[in-house]
Amino acid sequence: MDITILYGTETGNAEMLAEDVQSALEDAGHEVLVENLSDVAPADLDVSRLHLVVCSTYGDGELPASAQPFGEAMKDAPDLSGLRFGIFGLGDSEYETFNMGSQQIEEMLVAAGAERIGERVTHDASGDDMAEDVALPWAEAVVEAVGADA
Amino acid sequence: MRKVAIIGAGPSGCFTAQGLLKARPDWQVDVYDSLPVPYGLVRYGVAADHQGTKGIARQFERVFERQGARFFGNVTLGREVTLEQMRAAYDAVVLATGLAGDRVPELVDDGATPEGMIGAGALTRALYDHPDAGDLPDIGGHVVILGNGNVSVDLLRLLAKSESELEGSDLSPRATKWLTSRRIDSLTIVGRSAAELAKFDPVMIRELAKLQAVTIRVADLPEGEMTDAGQEKLLSALCEIDGLSTGPLPITFRFNMPLQSIETKDGKVTGLVAGRDGAESEHLPCNALVTAIGFCCDGRLGRDAVMSGAEDAEAGRIAEGLYAAGWFRRGPRGTIPENRADSLALAAKIVGDLEATPETSRAGHDGLGLTCETVDHAGWQRLDAIEKAQAMAGRCRTKIPTRSDMLRLAQKIEELK
Ligand SMILES: Cc1cc2nc3c(=O)[nH]c(=O)nc-3n(C[C@H](O)[C@H](O)[C@H](O)COP(=O)(O)O)c2cc1C
Repeated sequence: MDITILYGTETGNAEMLAEDVQSALEDAGHEVLVENLSDVAPADLDVSRLHLVVCSTYGDGELPASAQPFGEAMKDAPDLSGLRFGIFGLGDSEYETFNMGSQQIEEMLVAAGAERIGERVTHDASGDDMAEDVALPWAEAVVEAVGADA
Repeated sequence: MRKVAIIGAGPSGCFTAQGLLKARPDWQVDVYDSLPVPYGLVRYGVAADHQGTKGIARQFERVFERQGARFFGNVTLGREVTLEQMRAAYDAVVLATGLAGDRVPELVDDGATPEGMIGAGALTRALYDHPDAGDLPDIGGHVVILGNGNVSVDLLRLLAKSESELEGSDLSPRATKWLTSRRIDSLTIVGRSAAELAKFDPVMIRELAKLQAVTIRVADLPEGEMTDAGQEKLLSALCEIDGLSTGPLPITFRFNMPLQSIETKDGKVTGLVAGRDGAESEHLPCNALVTAIGFCCDGRLGRDAVMSGAEDAEAGRIAEGLYAAGWFRRGPRGTIPENRADSLALAAKIVGDLEATPETSRAGHDGLGLTCETVDHAGWQRLDAIEKAQAMAGRCRTKIPTRSDMLRLAQKIEELK
């Protein structure tokens, strides 16, 4: 399957995770591109590829720095009907605005007509799990759901 | 293959290594630290009750585990090895040693620090088991924290927490006992600027609303609306916690109060005088004064002279083959994200600079002829595993507090046949 992983990060954790997910999916035989949301405009999204979004939360429930231009551009979003995406959030339950960054991205994409595959899954930096232990099963499940559909 | 030495394994040094190896996976990047253990302020500066923020250490583990960087702990530049030796052995040397000195109020003569006064950096290191830290001071009674930045808020929050609120942190039994057995009558946080100009992160102010045994008052708030969104956000956070009452410990925020003098009796702090010129200055009695007014060079590496002679200080280039990163370069400003961005930009600059010059053969680490005991990344992983395994109940880690134990325990124990 052709898959694009998009990450939004402030301190690099989401980027590292995106790369982990990339290697796991490549090992499973998929063709995977990884891009920073800072380098992507909504109009560039290729609806023929499955998109996996990995995004943290910063400040006070805000998008992390690298996702902010994308978030701005989504205010004037093109029609994204046909785009299928899975979403994974990084956050910290010490903050009341837990994982609101990934939630914002999810809502923006859905509002523009994209279809979310599976539930949004989150990682808690204050919890005991390693991010990749939560994210790899998420990614596999999303890919499987899309594969079963095809 | 180019060889780069990074001096300082704190966040700026590690992000520089990460950026270099991402761009040039075949380069040899060696990260040195004067401590036997890596990660600098992530380990000894980020608050013990903000473990989530320390999660970036996992990225740094990868830099050593997968990206091929090497760690050499327990090597102090200027002691075991000179800067000239480093520069001869490597194509580039990056100074990322941070700023470990506490700025002291100008009205205190050096060497005449009264009893009851301590710098935030020194206190933080003592609380977080830094091997070179002094003893935890005997502070209590009415405590004033001078300075309106996030370091002040971290200390305020820790001093205000009760035992159960420290759960999940990596505070040692000794630090826990110190924090929870102090008899603190009041905590006052005093800053020179107006409330809206304070350097607090509004999110950290709002975090104080979770404290379980405090009564918070925010004095000196301005009247009217702010036009600047950032200032408005901070003021609304301060207004939100004003009046909060969950218990007996009084916490007071004061603004517009530049320090005028520190009062002492028999060499002990008894109070301070603060206030704006012209306006009436106020006398604030206190038994302890924690200064959190910024960090400076502690004298090592002659940082101020090095940086003032830099070819391009903005870009982090000091001279050919010599660079500066993080707080060493930019001064004690900026949190992890800004310093990460700086380090990644510096890594790109180093790659460009080095590739514009013909390759010469350098000896790298082996050319230094180090004779001191060093700790490599595998040694650090052993220490890390021990610290996690020996964590006390309610703690995620219990640090090894001395250099000698670190050095001893980092050695691989030969398996018994
Ligand atoms: C200053 C700061 C603010 C944060 N704010 C939030 C927040 O509002 N909500 C949340 O769920 N996580 C928050 N986090 C936690 C981060 O999302 C979490 O540490 C994540 O792993 C960072 O990933 P990144 O390095 O890709 O940006 C915050 C972290 C910091 C240091």
